[in-house]
Amino acid sequence: MEKKWISSVSLSLLLAGSVLAGCSTDNGGEGGGGDSGDKTTVTLAGWGGNPTEQALLEETLADFEEKNPDIDVKLEVIADQYMDVMKTRLIGGEGPDVFYLDAFEAPGMIETGVIEPLDEYVTDEFEVEDFEEPLLDAFKQDDATYGFPKDYSTLALFYNKTMFEEAGVEVPTTWEEMMEVSKALTKDGVYGYGVAPELARQYYVAESLGGSVVEDNMANFGSDEVIEALQPVIDQHNVDKTSAQPSEVGASSGGDMFGQQRAAMVLEGNWNIPYLEETFPDLEYGTAEVPTINGEKGTMAYTVAYVMNAASEKKEASWKLIEYLTGKEGMETWTSKGFALPTRKSVAEKLGYADDELRGSLVAGAEYATVWANGTNLPIITNNFNNQFISAFLGDRPLDEALKEAEEQANSEIGSEE
Amino acid sequence: MNRKYSKRSLKEAGQGYFFMSPTIFVLLIFILGPIFYAIFLSFNNVRLLGETSFDFVGLANYERVFDDRRAGIALWNTFKYVMIVVPSQTILAIVLAATLNAGMKGEKFFRIIYFLPTLTSSAVLTLIFMWMYNREGLVNFGLEKIGLPTYDFIGDPNVALTAIMVMNIWATAPFFMVIYLAALQDIPDSLYEAAELDGAGPIRKFWSITVPHLKPITSFVIIMGVIGTFQLFDQSYIFSGGSGGPDNSTLTVVLLIYQYAFKSMDTMGYAAAIAFVLAIVILVSTLIQRKLSNEENLY
Repeated sequence: MEKKWISSVSLSLLLAGSVLAGCSTDNGGEGGGGDSGDKTTVTLAGWGGNPTEQALLEETLADFEEKNPDIDVKLEVIADQYMDVMKTRLIGGEGPDVFYLDAFEAPGMIETGVIEPLDEYVTDEFEVEDFEEPLLDAFKQDDATYGFPKDYSTLALFYNKTMFEEAGVEVPTTWEEMMEVSKALTKDGVYGYGVAPELARQYYVAESLGGSVVEDNMANFGSDEVIEALQPVIDQHNVDKTSAQPSEVGASSGGDMFGQQRAAMVLEGNWNIPYLEETFPDLEYGTAEVPTINGEKGTMAYTVAYVMNAASEKKEASWKLIEYLTGKEGMETWTSKGFALPTRKSVAEKLGYADDELRGSLVAGAEYATVWANGTNLPIITNNFNNQFISAFLGDRPLDEALKEAEEQANSEIGSEE
Repeated sequence: MNRKYSKRSLKEAGQGYFFMSPTIFVLLIFILGPIFYAIFLSFNNVRLLGETSFDFVGLANYERVFDDRRAGIALWNTFKYVMIVVPSQTILAIVLAATLNAGMKGEKFFRIIYFLPTLTSSAVLTLIFMWMYNREGLVNFGLEKIGLPTYDFIGDPNVALTAIMVMNIWATAPFFMVIYLAALQDIPDSLYEAAELDGAGPIRKFWSITVPHLKPITSFVIIMGVIGTFQLFDQSYIFSGGSGGPDNSTLTVVLLIYQYAFKSMDTMGYAAAIAFVLAIVILVSTLIQRKLSNEENLY
């Protein structure tokens, strides 16, 4: 009896305790940090990188705090489902002051008005012209700038030096050469080219013949130019049988496929360099610019910006943080190890990645790259494209039929939302 | 009927409600409240991010469900999934239970072994199966060894859903097996003895005694199975990385609801409408099932 009584009391205490804990608000994030005097606490949220990358970010933040003794930066790492978490927090009014935003998601988020336009904060010293223009444009809407890109990556051709030597072929510079080389490289379960059949990677290919994937914020990838441009990707897989997607060889990504030596060539970005270094240190590989299509250079660029929460109560301090992180000094620290490429021309020049053996071809692509962002409906368009493109890629149906149907579906989804 | 309450009975009722108040409170906040809120959402065009706004749109969200090709695909996929998984897992469960109940040696050992898959979290299970389903994984290795064609289970739209079906049948059948095992204990041995005297073999006994006596349990198992399978989400989410791909082949209704609620902007109301359509589909199929099985209520 006695024991029962004790356990029930302790249980109810436990319950009461958890209720109270749930009620208490996190003062550190809102009230400006009452415990540390006049310090303002700015929360910064982003997704995690690898440990080295994380250390670089912390170093940059430490430098910032040293220069601004009145500001404390609280870094929050969101491990998974970044956009879901971020949207939910913004809806609930619990959003961080400053956070990462991918260019792909930017137009949609900007349109909702949850992101603060930054133009009025920008000073001449900040030198907006120093940013690579296409990357900055991804975060503009109606002439207002909502974010400054922190880094970017383009795609480059990664090739396996050993396999190229064995097959006795040269690194391809045009798409036709790549198709030919792939034939020589494909043997014993190794494919010449590891391909990612998704819009994020094929966008520039799709537009290489003058077609456009998105027109007036509607899907337009069923047009003849786009289909004609994408047909070689399909044919290489189904007719030549010299390319494969990662899951066909049991790999989890293009980088993995390349590292496991199941593909002699892949088109990957900057992230692939540290990945290969860590996971497949013995791999002999080189990089080159993406093969030209019809004599035109092209590649993709992916970029992420720091943006400010429009509902933030500490906008001045938040801007100081963004200003430092995307400023020359902060960006130099952040990009110093080459995990990310600097979006400022001056920093890029100073760090000299253009002459780097592996990163040179990635930097060269910045000039002519297509930035992965286009209007508010790109997520819907992408989803529908990917779904049908894969069925054409696997040879289940002709490409034109698949893409026309996907375009129709995408536009009906877009239409019923307006 | 005189409905006047005495002071005492009122007090007693009050006491009763007082004791129930924590539960009632929890039910209202976490179950009834959200249901009514979802009904409200499904009739509105909801915008949550930025300026929160609710525009009443009547039945427009529901009309949209019938125009949406992806909703159709999701319903069809889910339907296929239910039609295959529910009978398979029920039959497998009954067979497993009957063999375990036959009085073999090592019965307890096998009972534990059979039950293990159910104890595993479905997320972990899916990840493990994805390794096995890998192009160069265990399943393909086995298929190749016995001379059958191999598949890209994760990347090929034609087999992706089947792969999830097999995984789920394997994982949920043991749970229902335990329910059957419990029910089998209730079948009197005298029936089997009588059947034996009449010269019935094991198969005849199974069909003429075991199966009919388990009928009410089978109804329960099927209804629970139908409800569970209609709500398929986590496996196909993990399998496809949240996209329902390749080529919408693993897109289920709940996954579609999730995509509209959280992935695309301003479609929360539409997501709520699909959720209600799903609830109605489950309700109808349960009613049909009850009509067909013609059993007295057990639940």
